[in-house]
Amino acid sequence: MSEIEKRSIAEALILASPEPIPPARLAQLIPHCTLAKARVLVEELNAEYLAQQRAFEICEIAGGYQMRTHSEFASHLRQLRNVRPLRLSSAALETLAIVAYRQPMTRAEVENVRGVDAGPVMRNLLERKLIKLAGHREVPGRPMLYATTKRFLEIFGLSQLEDLPTLRELEELVSTEAGTGDAFATDESGSPAVEVDANLDTSAEPEASLEDVEILGKPH
Amino acid sequence: MTVSVPGSDPALLAAEPSALYSVRLPVFEGPLDLLLHLIRINEVEITDIPIARIGEQYLEYLTLLHELDLEVVGDYLVMASTLAWIKSQMLLPAERVGEDEEEIDPRAELIARLLEYQRFKEVAVELGERKRLGRDVFAASGFELEAPAESERAIEAGLFDLVEAYRRALEAKHDVESKPHEIEAEEITVRERMMEIMQVLESRSSIDFDALVHEEQGRPYTKAFFVATFLATLELTRLSAIRIYQGIDPLGVPEGPLHLRLSIESGDTAWIEQIAESM
Repeated sequence: MSEIEKRSIAEALILASPEPIPPARLAQLIPHCTLAKARVLVEELNAEYLAQQRAFEICEIAGGYQMRTHSEFASHLRQLRNVRPLRLSSAALETLAIVAYRQPMTRAEVENVRGVDAGPVMRNLLERKLIKLAGHREVPGRPMLYATTKRFLEIFGLSQLEDLPTLRELEELVSTEAGTGDAFATDESGSPAVEVDANLDTSAEPEASLEDVEILGKPH
Repeated sequence: MTVSVPGSDPALLAAEPSALYSVRLPVFEGPLDLLLHLIRINEVEITDIPIARIGEQYLEYLTLLHELDLEVVGDYLVMASTLAWIKSQMLLPAERVGEDEEEIDPRAELIARLLEYQRFKEVAVELGERKRLGRDVFAASGFELEAPAESERAIEAGLFDLVEAYRRALEAKHDVESKPHEIEAEEITVRERMMEIMQVLESRSSIDFDALVHEEQGRPYTKAFFVATFLATLELTRLSAIRIYQGIDPLGVPEGPLHLRLSIESGDTAWIEQIAESM
């Protein structure tokens, strides 16, 4: 089978897949193709699209490949679809960012970070399927845990959570502060016994609840 | 803080009596956001907040909120008391800890929270600026083949079919339970199961009721789980969130397992409101 044929098969698979198609799946469906080869094929296709000034490219989304239009055509496409784009308030974005970074976490933990009632916003995010339930924390009351969804990655064009660059920097900042012994002390034993998406890091989970704040004037 | 401000125009507020949403403060997202704002306009460092001055301005703002009679004042009161406490601590002689002889800044906790919150705000802005699917970019999506299987010709199963399926599942479970086992207290609520069923149905078009009660996810196999699942199914049906189907044999008699399918029209989220109510 010629290279061009393989590339065309890859193109057809990515185009018609109902959801982002993982590179491994691509390799499986293309005759005589390895994982590395599948990635090369996609790179070649993208180079071709770029050279030909096509209106779309292949993006890596939620661990798979998907064809997406360039943003310069957004206004035309919005007219075509005739749907209102997903609008998120700054409160919703803040909450999403917090959950994305600290997941899985409880509603109370979100509220500790934001300092306000998070109920309506989280309900809204649940409805929009940007966050989901992710089990319970095994503490009294067994509060529900929340995590971001695959749809969150799709909407924001992320292949994985680690692709949010600021989150990485944030992690470094927080971990240095944890080292100096302030409120961001991490407690690994407190990690919840729940199944969590593989790409999450539950060990780096700061435990800083409002109840721990030294309201009573008792220093550490 | 790019918020369309409803609070600035009282007439506008009155025109939108949406009881579903708690009234949000004009411009500010909460006490931490307000503090960050005050710190910014006073041109002081977060790490060295003049508590007396900032606290005073904070209270002025709080008075304004009180006049507007906004419900969210509660969130702000906690912070006001924290500020007052910090102020009082700073008037006292500094406490010393152990041999370090290092002074504990009563503001440390607040500063840490403010820095943390500020960073998340930055992340949120970045998130908002990302090219968003459905707004900036659009995906080629394959045709979704969602048609029900041929054997499921819109025969909607009735309550008794569901009870029958429940009985069968209990019977099957009885065999498992006949041997001695350790008793573990496992609390499971109908609400949880409702959420879980809806989540299962998001990833696939339908699920057998039998499969649902066997879907354990590392859970102990208990009667409470069955009961919760059964009640959750009934409740979701009542809320029209799901529909229950069953195949038919050549004579048109319903047979085989019951299938659960989503029945929500786009935008109909009454079920989640219902569930979330007690969240």
